[in-house]
Amino acid sequence: MRLFQALLWCYPAGFRRRYGTELLETFESLRNEPRHRGVRGHAAFWIHIIRDVTASAGRQRTRQVRNRLREATGAGAPAPPNHPKRSEMDTFIQDARYALRQFVRRPAFAAVAVLSLALAIGGNAAIYGLLDGFVFHPFTYPEPNRLVSVGVTFPKLSSDVTYVEALSPAEYADIRKNRSFSQIGAFDLGNRNISGGDVPERVFTALLLDDLFPVIGMKPLLGRGFTREELGPNGPPAAIISHRLWQTRFGSDPNILNRAIRIGGNSASVVGVMPPGLVLIGTDLWIPWGGDPAQMPRNVRQFTIVARLAPGATITQANAELATLAAQTDQAERPRFAEYEGWHLQATPWAAALLQDVRAAAWILLAAVGLVLLIACANLANLLLARSTTRHRELAVRLALGAARWRIARHLLTESLMLSLAGGLGGVAFAYLALKASPVLIPAQFQMLGLNAGVNARVLWWSLAIAIVAGLLVGFLPAIQATRTDPHDSLKEGRTGSTRGGRLRQALVVVEIALSVVLLLGAGLLMRSVLNIQRVNPGFEPKGVLTMRLTLPREKYPAEAANVFFDSLIERVQAIPGVRSASAASQFPPMGSFDTQFTLERSATEKTKLPNALITVATPRHFETLGVSLRAGRGFTPADRLKAPLVAIVNQAFASRYLSGVDPLEQRLTIGSPDRPRPWVTIVGVISDYSNNGATAPPRPEIVIPVWQQTAWNQLFLLVRTDGPPAALLGSVRQAVVSIDPEQPVYMTQTLEEAVATSSFQQRIAATLLMVFAGVALVLAAVGVYGVMSYSVSARTQEIGVRLAIGAQRHDVVWLVLRQVAGLVAIGLAIGVTVLVLAGQGISGLLFGVQPADPLTIGLVTLALAGVGILAAWAPAARASRVDPIEALRYE
Amino acid sequence: MPQNKKSLSLPVLHILLALADGSRHGYAIKQDVERRTSGVIRLGPGTLYEAIQRLEEGGLIEESAAPRDAEPANGQEAQRRYYQLTERGWTALREKLQQLGALVDQARANPRLKKGLA
Repeated sequence: MRLFQALLWCYPAGFRRRYGTELLETFESLRNEPRHRGVRGHAAFWIHIIRDVTASAGRQRTRQVRNRLREATGAGAPAPPNHPKRSEMDTFIQDARYALRQFVRRPAFAAVAVLSLALAIGGNAAIYGLLDGFVFHPFTYPEPNRLVSVGVTFPKLSSDVTYVEALSPAEYADIRKNRSFSQIGAFDLGNRNISGGDVPERVFTALLLDDLFPVIGMKPLLGRGFTREELGPNGPPAAIISHRLWQTRFGSDPNILNRAIRIGGNSASVVGVMPPGLVLIGTDLWIPWGGDPAQMPRNVRQFTIVARLAPGATITQANAELATLAAQTDQAERPRFAEYEGWHLQATPWAAALLQDVRAAAWILLAAVGLVLLIACANLANLLLARSTTRHRELAVRLALGAARWRIARHLLTESLMLSLAGGLGGVAFAYLALKASPVLIPAQFQMLGLNAGVNARVLWWSLAIAIVAGLLVGFLPAIQATRTDPHDSLKEGRTGSTRGGRLRQALVVVEIALSVVLLLGAGLLMRSVLNIQRVNPGFEPKGVLTMRLTLPREKYPAEAANVFFDSLIERVQAIPGVRSASAASQFPPMGSFDTQFTLERSATEKTKLPNALITVATPRHFETLGVSLRAGRGFTPADRLKAPLVAIVNQAFASRYLSGVDPLEQRLTIGSPDRPRPWVTIVGVISDYSNNGATAPPRPEIVIPVWQQTAWNQLFLLVRTDGPPAALLGSVRQAVVSIDPEQPVYMTQTLEEAVATSSFQQRIAATLLMVFAGVALVLAAVGVYGVMSYSVSARTQEIGVRLAIGAQRHDVVWLVLRQVAGLVAIGLAIGVTVLVLAGQGISGLLFGVQPADPLTIGLVTLALAGVGILAAWAPAARASRVDPIEALRYE
Repeated sequence: MPQNKKSLSLPVLHILLALADGSRHGYAIKQDVERRTSGVIRLGPGTLYEAIQRLEEGGLIEESAAPRDAEPANGQEAQRRYYQLTERGWTALREKLQQLGALVDQARANPRLKKGLA
């Protein structure tokens, strides 16, 4: 199906919009025809389709171009036949043929050239494909760039902008009035159990406050969208399901519409099925939110906003209106909700809002892979220069016979273009494979945001553009050099050749080395950052803990029933052999996301910010399971139940930030915003700090309260610490869940170690890929050094012979060669280090605990380069030392 | 852009003929043409919709409601577009068939061709 979709990109946008869906369907129906079964049928099918698509898309594109030309020139008359054009074409074909003959004659050269370009272009295409899927075009919505999300910052609470689950219904109602938005919708994210059928399934769900589908511009494949009545408070229960869900859970039931399904214990009627592919951040089920917005307090913020800019409106206009709105709300609501002071709303393109974290790494990779391409180009230019030196006489003869200089330059450019285009073709194949493998590198949580990275039309165009640029880059220097050839000198010179090309080639090698240094340094710095991150003491013990999430349907487990369930689950899990302790909690390190305002009884807190801390509910043995130690007071006990006095445990960050100078124990606080009275909670314990804000950020203040004093928590993580490998426990833990409730699914299972690793995945991906790139760069640079040195040795054979004849030792000669290499490496190193230190700002965001000008990394890179330089120069140096002075002098 | 009647190519003619039997969706047109020509004309999806686009732009065919006999419950049918001949399409088809008829008649008048055309 995705291949078909890719094929659609061959057609102009207009055609695609009008007939795309139908075409896809026809492809699908055709493929299902009996004659297209089996390997042969399959092949026949693809041949048929590809012939058809190339022919018709070709005609469509030509038509598009012709129409545009007609519009542009305002004339309907076709261009007169253009004879000079045809002779241009003939020249090109002639050059191309000549080049082909050259390649066939020297297949090894052509193979090396095409292969190195294929790798470099392929790397570029693959990274571009990733960026395309992640950053440029992550969504298949029409006009995705006009789609924005509204982010909010409450400076009194935190300096972060949040987009997802960031705003309340009342705030949404205000934002709706923005005239820069033509359409707007909001949704809350959640998970719902779908039951009925064999196995209950946990489905990522969006709860819609307004009809979102027109905003993102998608229509259901079957059925309809929601009606106003269904979206209103307490409307008739309705659901729209994803294509995936329809296929996997309902077996593509054609009668799915109006069928009642069980969602979290309630019945809802299916009114629509969405088309295949990503619809909204990986959700599979869409249901109306169902609450009454008027009843929701202003400060309960759970909605994500998606809006489409009105025709002609810009983000700047939208932001200006949002700023006015924010100022009005600040004035009107600040007395009741202090967080509005100085709050800020901003519209950001939807893709950017969702993917802000991934972008930095992506751009660095694109730059890095661009450097690899430059190195490959320099290398190839070097090879071509070497060849043009040997082809000197051929070119000189052609010049002498009256060939125009530009004609020869053009011929050389045609040659390099042919090489690079062939390389581009190989590169696309490479990129296809690389992108297929890419999901391995990317954590699931980002994949679900809609990664549709693959080889699409844009990747193909990009590859073509790169191939052409590479071809021109590669051919440029040899072409220039060729046009400077003086036929007289060249023909007189004989076989020894001149040293003119040598300078140029040495300069190219210096460039190669400098570029590899930049890559090596970047890779080294990122590697060190990854190591530093791993070395950070997280404050808990990640090894040996299995985590998973359970969400109990409210209908089945009202109020305390959820507590009873988790109580007996933990009891049963702790009885499993090998389990040391088990606990349930609303969140676990290294990343906490639930936070709250609170008020201390002493209220000696800062004035500039509203006191704010992470809030976690947990069962008694939670700290033991995590490996966090108690610093003062006591942990939770089974006695901390609903009717008992409310208690809390805080971390050291909390104590030092909000209760410095006093004994935190027995201090009282209320949890929640201060807009209404809340019960007092007493601090009974202080725990040591652990990473709760990502692995690299300092810990945030955190309040932990016992689950058993709450009734609102039906969604908790189960954490199980074991002596053996945690993943091996999964089966028995599941068993324990099923023994209590056979309909209860578990999900998001991962080990604590995996959770920690995920939090530094950007550095990991970047470091891994940069290492690969740097390795390739190093190999290419070594080849470059080798080429230049062997050329230089053969050009200096006579000189070396003379030196040996007048008494130089063999090792002097070796030293002569090595000194030259050392010079090249030193200059390249100096340039590379300077460039990286100057451009260090670009990657400093990804670095942790290391500066761009890190002496250790620079030292290691120097060593590596020196080693590679010696290795590459070894063979030429050895050859130089074996020069027979008599032979060398007799040579001329 | 008005459709030039003389430029009705053979595949296009077959599409019009297929629609002369009633409204059809794209894939059904394709199957019909294939059956009608015993598989000689095999329209690829791209070619098919290209032709449909031209015919729509030329005003020879238009989108229609699904015919009553299409199974309404089947998911695939529910969102397919159906096409039917417009007045202009009927006229163009008739004219073209008359032209072809006249051509065949003329050919029959040639004694050397007569045998095969009987």
